[in-house]
Amino acid sequence: MIENTKNNIGIWARLGAWLTHMANPTRFMRFADRTIPYLAGLSLSLFAIGLYLGFTAPQDYQQGATVQIMFVHVPSAWLAMMCFSVMAVSGIGTLVWRHPLADVSLRAAAPIGLAFTFLALVTGSLWGKPMWGAWWVWDARLTSVFILFLIYIGIIALSRAIEEPTTAARSLSVITLVGWIIIPIIKFSVKWWNTLHQPASVSKLGAPSMDAVFLYPLLTMALAFTVLFFCLHFMNMRNEILRRRLRVLKIKSGQLGKGSAV
Amino acid sequence: MFGDHAAYIVPSYLISLLVMLGLIGWIRITYSSHKKALKALEAKGIKRASSK
Repeated sequence: MIENTKNNIGIWARLGAWLTHMANPTRFMRFADRTIPYLAGLSLSLFAIGLYLGFTAPQDYQQGATVQIMFVHVPSAWLAMMCFSVMAVSGIGTLVWRHPLADVSLRAAAPIGLAFTFLALVTGSLWGKPMWGAWWVWDARLTSVFILFLIYIGIIALSRAIEEPTTAARSLSVITLVGWIIIPIIKFSVKWWNTLHQPASVSKLGAPSMDAVFLYPLLTMALAFTVLFFCLHFMNMRNEILRRRLRVLKIKSGQLGKGSAV
Repeated sequence: MFGDHAAYIVPSYLISLLVMLGLIGWIRITYSSHKKALKALEAKGIKRASSK
């Protein structure tokens, strides 16, 4: 017990030390340059395995071949929520620790989260038409994911509207943390309200109510999407650091005013 | 392969592929354009304090 507690403290202390080490953007750029090719390769391999398992899986007795849509829809929906949670943690990083990369992380994640939320909505709609007979219904799960989509758009718009960097970072962090309330609402919407959308079938406490023949391709695809997310996030964080450097040089050269954005 | 539901399954995968490729393309293009702009400014002698 005491040994476990010591190990846990050790892990958190090491994570803290690593995050402090990464507070230097140049150091992060070097880390990203080294890591991105491995993440890209791993993601591609996982996609290849996931797609093979998915396309060779049998048809579901209820959904028929449309079960194939689940292998892209469910990971997109998970990523849409995970990405917003990464942004919320980054928001805490800005407000509490003033970590130089926290705002970079928040801004870089937003367009990626928007893309995954869009995919979750579109693929869900393409699954809904043959299964429910409707492209869209205003039930609690679908509506809450649509609200998440609008929140992402709002955050991206705000990040471009405020030009002064410190004010922008704080405002974005506060809005993201307030907006995070939508994540538990999405997660528990199928429990709290009577929805057309089915309840959780993978993340249920106990055993997932899904056959292994569908569960394995789904989990492999989810892992592929997750690795892809981190790869894209690091790539876009690199862009955000370069954008800031560019802004500083443009101000120096007189091409931009101090309160202007690139 | 997908039977009667091909009209829903194929667009799901195609749209996912297009969105992901679009996202990767946008990020890569932004990276090269920022790098190019930084190089152009540095070539004019405008450098960051830390790179001097």
